[in-house]
Amino acid sequence: MAAVAGRTYPAVRFEIEPERVEAFARAIGADPAAGVPPTFAAVYSLGMTAPQLFGDEEAAVDFARLLHAEQEFEWARQARVGETVSSRGRVASDTSRRGMRFVSLETETSAVDGGPICRSRALFVIREGAPAS
Amino acid sequence: MSERKVTFTREQIAAYADASGDRNPIHLDDDFARSVGLPGLIAHGMLQMGIAATVAAEAAGGPDRLRRVSVRFAGMVLPGDEVTFSAEPAGDRKLDLKAVNQRGEPVITKATAEYAP
Repeated sequence: MAAVAGRTYPAVRFEIEPERVEAFARAIGADPAAGVPPTFAAVYSLGMTAPQLFGDEEAAVDFARLLHAEQEFEWARQARVGETVSSRGRVASDTSRRGMRFVSLETETSAVDGGPICRSRALFVIREGAPAS
Repeated sequence: MSERKVTFTREQIAAYADASGDRNPIHLDDDFARSVGLPGLIAHGMLQMGIAATVAAEAAGGPDRLRRVSVRFAGMVLPGDEVTFSAEPAGDRKLDLKAVNQRGEPVITKATAEYAP
């Protein structure tokens, strides 16, 4: 595995479509008429950049051995249905100890006019060692 | 204090997989989940966080007021598990969040929220 702390990924745009928001709200037991659920950031923010990290061959994140250990979202405001947002991911840290690799992925999501919406911090733990049999 | 009891089902986990786009087979396929050492398919941590944040939003007076939510995923949630989510005031516009299963085990720890006036 390679430590990739400091690595950044190209910004990804996402349009917040009402159907997707409603389905998400229903799945978490929120009111589908109450706008974008705060943790829809799992889709428009983390959901844009985590696949970039997982697909990064140099980062070599073993998806089968990965656990999502911690998650934080901070919002400047909640996203709105119908708007397009842009998310940029950065590997904030990448360390190993005692057979475990800890990768922290930070994502800044802003409106197309540049105004801030959300900051996501995800901590992934990957069990190292022998390949899965 | 806001509280909600949720009995997790395969259907709800599958609905979250579709709506979130996280279709990792550990959330959808028992056989695959067992092949990577899990007891069977498990709920997304982000589904747990989504419910916890929904309860936090109720306690905060609406989702637009939420400014921060953070959690540590401490335990697996399987279909059939009954998890009680709660949000309790913890000082100035802060909430302590809890999610405890039917055995009294926390599935989310170090969970807090902050909200705007």
